[in-house]
Amino acid sequence: MSVRRITGEAGQFFDSYFTWKRTIVPGVSIVIMLRIVPLLAVVTVLSAEEEIDFNRDIRPILSDKCFHCHGPDPETREEDLRLDTFEGATEGGAIKPGKPEKSELMARILDTDPDEVMPPPKSHKKISKAEAELLREWIAEGAEYEDPWTYQHPVKSPAPAIKNAQWPSNWIDHFILARLENKGLTPSPDADPVTLLRRLHFDLVGLPPTQERVKSFTEAASNNLQTAVETEVDFLLASPHYGERLAIYWLDLVRYADTVGYHGDQPHNISPYRDYVINSLNRNIAFDQFTREQLAGDLLPNPSQNQIIATGYNRLLQTTHEGGLQAAEYRAIYQADRVRNASAVWMGATVGCAQCHDHKYDPYSAKDNYQLAAFFADIDDESHFKTGTNSLPTKRPPEILILDKDGKERLQTLDEQLTVLAGGKEKQITELSKQESTLAAQLKKEKDAKKKEDLQTHLTATRTKLGELLPGDSLTQWKQLTADRKKVKTGGRLTMITKALATPRMVRVLPRGNWLDETGEIVEPAVPHFLPQIEKEGRANRMDLANWLTDVEKGTGGLTARVMANRFFYLYFGTGISRSLSDFGGQGQPPSNPELLDRLAVEFYESDWDIKHMVRLLTTSRSYRQSSLTPPELRELDPYNQLVARQSRFRLPAEIIRDNALAVSGLLETATGGASVKPAQPEGYYRHFNFPTRKYKQDTDQRVYRRSLYIHWQRQFLHPMLKAFDAPSREECTAERPRSNTPVAAMNLLNDPNFVEAARVLAERILSGADKDTGARLDYAYNLVLSRNPTDAESKTMADLLDYANKDFKQHPDAAKKLISIGQTATDPNLDPIELATWTSVSRALLNLSETTTRN
Amino acid sequence: MFDQSANYINRRTFLAKGGFSLGAAALASQLAKAGITGKSNTSLYGAPHHAAKAKRVIYLCMAGGPSHLETFDYKPELDKISGKPFPDSFTKGQPIAQLQGKALMAQGHLGGFKKYGKSGQWISDYLPYHQKMADDISVIRSMVTEQINHDPAHTFMNTGTAISGRPSMGSWVNYGLGSESQDLPGFVVLTSVGGRNPQPIASRQWSSGFLPSRFQGVEFNSSGDPVHYVSNPAGVSRGHQDELIRTIQNLDSKRNDLVDNPEISARISAYEMAFRMQTSVPELTDLAGESQKTLDMYGATPGDGSYASNCLLARRMIEKGVRFVQLYHRGWDHHGGLDKYMKICAGHTDQPTWALLTDLKQRGLLEDTLVIWGGEFGRTPMFQGKGGAGRDHHIKGFSMWMAGGCVKAGLSHGATDELGYNAVEDIVHVRDFHATMLHLLGIDHHRFSEKFQGLDMRLTGVEPAKVIKQLLA
Repeated sequence: MSVRRITGEAGQFFDSYFTWKRTIVPGVSIVIMLRIVPLLAVVTVLSAEEEIDFNRDIRPILSDKCFHCHGPDPETREEDLRLDTFEGATEGGAIKPGKPEKSELMARILDTDPDEVMPPPKSHKKISKAEAELLREWIAEGAEYEDPWTYQHPVKSPAPAIKNAQWPSNWIDHFILARLENKGLTPSPDADPVTLLRRLHFDLVGLPPTQERVKSFTEAASNNLQTAVETEVDFLLASPHYGERLAIYWLDLVRYADTVGYHGDQPHNISPYRDYVINSLNRNIAFDQFTREQLAGDLLPNPSQNQIIATGYNRLLQTTHEGGLQAAEYRAIYQADRVRNASAVWMGATVGCAQCHDHKYDPYSAKDNYQLAAFFADIDDESHFKTGTNSLPTKRPPEILILDKDGKERLQTLDEQLTVLAGGKEKQITELSKQESTLAAQLKKEKDAKKKEDLQTHLTATRTKLGELLPGDSLTQWKQLTADRKKVKTGGRLTMITKALATPRMVRVLPRGNWLDETGEIVEPAVPHFLPQIEKEGRANRMDLANWLTDVEKGTGGLTARVMANRFFYLYFGTGISRSLSDFGGQGQPPSNPELLDRLAVEFYESDWDIKHMVRLLTTSRSYRQSSLTPPELRELDPYNQLVARQSRFRLPAEIIRDNALAVSGLLETATGGASVKPAQPEGYYRHFNFPTRKYKQDTDQRVYRRSLYIHWQRQFLHPMLKAFDAPSREECTAERPRSNTPVAAMNLLNDPNFVEAARVLAERILSGADKDTGARLDYAYNLVLSRNPTDAESKTMADLLDYANKDFKQHPDAAKKLISIGQTATDPNLDPIELATWTSVSRALLNLSETTTRN
Repeated sequence: MFDQSANYINRRTFLAKGGFSLGAAALASQLAKAGITGKSNTSLYGAPHHAAKAKRVIYLCMAGGPSHLETFDYKPELDKISGKPFPDSFTKGQPIAQLQGKALMAQGHLGGFKKYGKSGQWISDYLPYHQKMADDISVIRSMVTEQINHDPAHTFMNTGTAISGRPSMGSWVNYGLGSESQDLPGFVVLTSVGGRNPQPIASRQWSSGFLPSRFQGVEFNSSGDPVHYVSNPAGVSRGHQDELIRTIQNLDSKRNDLVDNPEISARISAYEMAFRMQTSVPELTDLAGESQKTLDMYGATPGDGSYASNCLLARRMIEKGVRFVQLYHRGWDHHGGLDKYMKICAGHTDQPTWALLTDLKQRGLLEDTLVIWGGEFGRTPMFQGKGGAGRDHHIKGFSMWMAGGCVKAGLSHGATDELGYNAVEDIVHVRDFHATMLHLLGIDHHRFSEKFQGLDMRLTGVEPAKVIKQLLA
């Protein structure tokens, strides 16, 4: 380790793009360097004294600028030089440790001759002066390599010492504060209680707080904010909506959707898997068990129905049965898809890049990719090539039937009644009933008189036998009960599951990813060669993979914990400690606070993979409580909020924007789970479908007011509202959604009838819930939507809109009627249509405010 | 990735990308365009990399895969063996779609071929209007692709890979060059049907992938709202909506005074543009201002949602500064009934395509507009017989064309073998086609990359791609 010395003069470290010198605290001068790489800026905030960290400071430069030709992939390696290992770099003298002036690497990167300079101009990569200086210092200090941080077991560092001992609430704060103090910065003050409460509710359950909750929290907060937060967090973690909120993130990762994705994009049966995720998170199932159930629940001893539903994970990929598909090609596409997803979800790795060649930046070989694929080779992909149909929903065996709680109870009662009736002779009765219906059907069709007679005799005999077994009324009862039973079962839902094939498919390495090439080596399931190996006699299976991913001692559990810890941090702070949420590779961004990330990872597995524990820890920290207001200096110093000297503010996810509108208007249906739902969407949106063509059948009952995570997830034509607010198609793993700000989204929030209806129902709530004067109504409305009173200036602006709207609708009463008729909820007949339409305009404005759609 | 702070940073630093330097005046005007003044549709990338003639693209996407053998690729040798077994030497070990496991018989051309124009391009009898354009279009007769089924093949053609989640070419181009329109999206998609059972088309084809959502294609509908939710709710007049939006903006800016959040300024601009789009989109799609002569030339009836109307709309869009217009006609999957469906598809598209080119030329727009015509693959020289002679999917050789002031007019580039099976001369891979299109727009495909999952992602992918120099005017 070397110590980075900065004299306070920017000159020698001048970055080609931006250098700012700012005095944050009187007397402490800080040089900020921003190395801007297109769009994914790598920001290094160096303090007066900070050590060079190979993984944080050097590896990203070498990886981005050099490894493509001098890295792990021998196919593209030039001059037989590799710079990703100490041996490779030092053997031929490219790097002479301690002697930058004698190192060929330095000479070449500083060379001005276009034929000599590295990286070569044709690569369009350039090493900046600041980067060259970093490399020079690093070589001077001995050119020490470290294993990639991703593959190092997380280290449990003690909480660092801090000056302001009053500030922290828990150890997370020590790691954050120590870094701030080291840079002469102070944390932001606590957010005001209402902002904080709204943040907690949106983060943990994805719904706004009720007015009662606001009242009780602000009271409790005035006594002791920390206790108030802890109580609130526990309350929210116990809510069934907690699982729904966190499920949104997990469903993005595993690419859950209601349709097959390719070609006809037909619906497939999978919604019970979504409910499994919600319920498991609410039950707080340990993450290692959650992993095992999804990857290999079918391989557990005596798996429960839930554990079988969980194996739907293996079926979430996009599938097709486009006419003319070649099974061999799609086998290759599916296995690549599964490797991409599992490695992204659990390993934060881009193993999929090794589909055609060894990874260019990370040590994954192409063989590693195919060996991982072999774990999934026992998943039946063949039957749907044969039986997959253009029906809606399509057939994707193996599937099982799932009943809801009522259905299950009903079925149980029916079965009990049938058992009593049969008196131990179910088998015979069932057999005879089957015979009876077959014979009756044959008789109906038969035209030949002789045959008819025979059938009739046979039938009568059967009926007599049945009558003996079920005397008197009991035969009629039996028939009724059987019919009821059938009905209950059709009310259930099918769901795709994993059933292991007795003989797994043979998996070959496909040279350059070419599925027509059958010359590649045949491989067995195995984990990447440079990581701890699975020790097992015979063929390893999905369960071994799941165990390996979560075994801290013998597998890569520590690394998995780190990947997930980083995502938890992202969920509650708006940014990951490493900003690369699914690329913990050489090209991903190293963690800004590695000790904190590691400590969180260790905490995760030491708590026995307790997800709620992690959520509680993060959201009850002092760091979480900070205001998200961002002074301009801080914005410039730390635009990506890597120092966490403040909280983050960002637009709410698509689902939460709609759920919030439904909640504040009182329309929200809070039931959890069930089949996917279909709220209104524009006519003709599905016109591009074929095989078969289809029409969107909007639900016409209360289901349209259910939370948005239950909306039918049509991969290719996702509900326009979800799409406008950046919900992903879920074709691939999404660890981080973009947060855009577009006119299309504005038009959606303004004009989508789902929002217009919510606004009208909100207006009804305002008119019937508040005193009659405008001031009281506005106060009430603001409290419903924003948990606060309007300012005088805001009331004035809203009053102007009210005036305008009132005049407009008085002149055009028909227009008022049209506006308030939007949506399927009946309008309150006791309300004056003009007044209701007028207040609908106010509600529309409220639902469209930036504050309404922002987590602050 | 593209979080709010990133938006903020990018507005400030986009010029740094690729190490471009511009004078202060250019900087100021670029910043103004880039979103500081709310006109947030401009390039973030610093392209163009070099002077370019083409400023915009109209891509006529013949979805389903039109037969090169019934359009541009004349092979007398194929006619000679028509009805006989197709030589095994061509087909052995090659991927094939619906003809898997069936006897492969040669199928000669349906319809005749002649040479047209000064350039003497071979053009089929099915395309009488194309015959008139022989000297305007530059036909690539040696295209190859890698995907043999429609959905992945389209994805490959649009994004350079069959893997989902990557940006389509229209998004890339807008990302590189920005939009020139302040009240219309930079990338618009229009679709029409007619011909054999239409292939489904996925919105993946105009997805912005990992690029910011504002670069995704916006689909215009031929019925209902031309763009989703572009109309006010029932009962809300334009004046009322204006009042409402001004109230929202007013309250948002009050909020911004308190919290100083750059994202709120961007949002105020988005509402402004939404309001303008609510007028400009219906104006754009209203063909009432077009003369009967123009309508006749295209063969368009306003509001019919036909390819002809879409061609006319495409012209109107590029006039208003839309950067990339993609027109899908979804009837070209001719496994059978080739003659019948060629007539139908040509009937729908041949004249309007000619009209579009003619109209652009008359208005002086063809000089700096690149027009592309082609499907996701071609069709087999072998017979398939689902309801009369037809052809199966084929990826080893097919035809596309480009036109516009930026490409050499009347050129025939490359060739397939004597049976129209394999591209053999000057082979143009999809990524070469992408590289060429970008080059014509002033973008160097080598330098045009975006970091995603740690990689420098390009439209042209990781394999070497080349610009087709012969095509450049």
